[in-house]
Amino acid sequence: MRAGAYPAFALTAFQSRLAYRNQVWASAFGELVISFAFIAIWTAAFAGQVVVDGATLPEMITYVMIAGLLYWNTDRLINDVGEAVRTGDITIFLLKPLSYPASLLATHFGHYVFDQLVVTLPVLLIVGFSVGLLPPASLFHALMALPFWALSWLMLFTLGALCGLLAFWLLTAFALEWFLKGIMALASGAIVPLWFMPGWLSGILGYLPFAWVSYYPTAIYLGKLDPPATFLYFGIGLAWLAALGGFLAWLWSRARHRLIVQGG
Amino acid sequence: MAAIISADGVDKTFRQLKRQSGLAGGLRSLFSRTYTEIRAVSDITFAIEPGEAVGYLGPNGAGKSTMIKMMTGILTPSAGALSVLGREPHTNRMRNAREIGVVFGQRSQLWWDLPVRDSFALNRHIYDIPEARFADNLAFLTEMLDMGAYLDRPVRQLSLGQRMRAEIALALLHDPKIIFLDEPTIGLDVVAKDAVRKFLARVNRERGTTIILTTHDLVDIEEICPRLIMVDDGKLLFDGELTRLRADLGSRRRLTLEFATDPGPLPLATATLSRDEGAAKHYLLEDEAISLIDVLNEVGRGHGLKDVKLEEPDIEEVIRTFYQNKSRLAGAAS
Repeated sequence: MRAGAYPAFALTAFQSRLAYRNQVWASAFGELVISFAFIAIWTAAFAGQVVVDGATLPEMITYVMIAGLLYWNTDRLINDVGEAVRTGDITIFLLKPLSYPASLLATHFGHYVFDQLVVTLPVLLIVGFSVGLLPPASLFHALMALPFWALSWLMLFTLGALCGLLAFWLLTAFALEWFLKGIMALASGAIVPLWFMPGWLSGILGYLPFAWVSYYPTAIYLGKLDPPATFLYFGIGLAWLAALGGFLAWLWSRARHRLIVQGG
Repeated sequence: MAAIISADGVDKTFRQLKRQSGLAGGLRSLFSRTYTEIRAVSDITFAIEPGEAVGYLGPNGAGKSTMIKMMTGILTPSAGALSVLGREPHTNRMRNAREIGVVFGQRSQLWWDLPVRDSFALNRHIYDIPEARFADNLAFLTEMLDMGAYLDRPVRQLSLGQRMRAEIALALLHDPKIIFLDEPTIGLDVVAKDAVRKFLARVNRERGTTIILTTHDLVDIEEICPRLIMVDDGKLLFDGELTRLRADLGSRRRLTLEFATDPGPLPLATATLSRDEGAAKHYLLEDEAISLIDVLNEVGRGHGLKDVKLEEPDIEEVIRTFYQNKSRLAGAAS
């Protein structure tokens, strides 16, 4: 196994996306429409009030945009893994001198960078110049938002890969995809921040790994957590990532064992 | 020379969940599951020398793919010893993978949306191929497989024949010592099949790459593989030269004699008359030792012999006879 091969996977995935120009335009346009829809909803919800539950309207608009940027669509990842399992193409990866999970991570990192660069960033710029977005609350919060961003993507990748791998036992990733989507829509805070939820609900969701996908990184960008809390939640997030990553590694070793003993 | 692949009493048994039919059966299976054992490969022993080209042949479900998967390290044998390049393949999957190339006729290893060249470039990184070596190999393979015209086209735009050539090139870029091909000519037209066969035979001859090939198409075997391993029901039936198989089965060459006019009945000691059409007479040559000269000497001059045609039995017929004999033997044994 050569580490140099993995960046090549990311690059190849990125290149493969350039093949469909129309898809790029369509997704960017769709993203833009959804963003303006969310902005309209929050503007209406504030109904002229300046502060609701400690958040201002500009904060809310910034929240929706950043949380949306972080809430990356894992469909492609789940499908890739699920299909590879269902069709048996996964054996092709076992025939190469590389680690399948690592090549998957590299490939989808390529997709992620593509999505952010080509779809999300332009939308963010358009909204930034037309509606306006808030800068990070402070230099500290700006700097901390970056590792939280990395953690957010790794968490998403791990959750998506887990769902895809479960197809080994369930033979379809379709139902899991919907399950994850439903959970994520609520628990990641991508649509509604946890601070607007009833105390008992945000109490639970605040400790589930999904909240690290959108809620915490965005809340930190907006300065809603003080430095000690920021570090504390970063630590909890890391622990979650380690636990889920460990589960993923275990599941993959089980899947591999099943493949090489049972032939899939 | 030491064997590059050796199998010693290799077995592979799969445990398959027994599905019970009907709603009641389905409900019952929620609580108690019964399994049936399927022996896909049973007691296979062979040794392959470096540089050999071996055809692995058998009907559907004979255990060909299972054996290929075990040799490539993605399936563990249930019993017996298997060694590829001096290593146990499944415990050394990564190291094994560096030194072998694999082509599945039914699965693609190319990136669908990208030009062929990009998939090749990715493989350069995966196998850590030195730049100069990569360029040489790419040039050689492009020329030999006539890929120049479509190297920069996305894979999804290629014909099946073009794609298969690209798959084979992809599997050879890192100079594997052994290349495994699982039905590489499946679905190809005559021209494309021919190109693939000629190329594989040449790679085997010139580069000394060991070739293991499973196929349904017997012409593949005839043109690429001097040696044949035949399996059925997971068991080894035959291992040896194709010519020996012919000889073992009593190679019955077909002889046709054409005369200017019907010479009347013409029984021969050297050949058995199979069909008499008057001016054209068909014989079977049962004995390998008898030559055409012997027959012509016996016929002699004076019958107005116009033309002679001698046909070797084609491989399809040889194999068919072989499997028929086998089932007769099995029938007699039980």
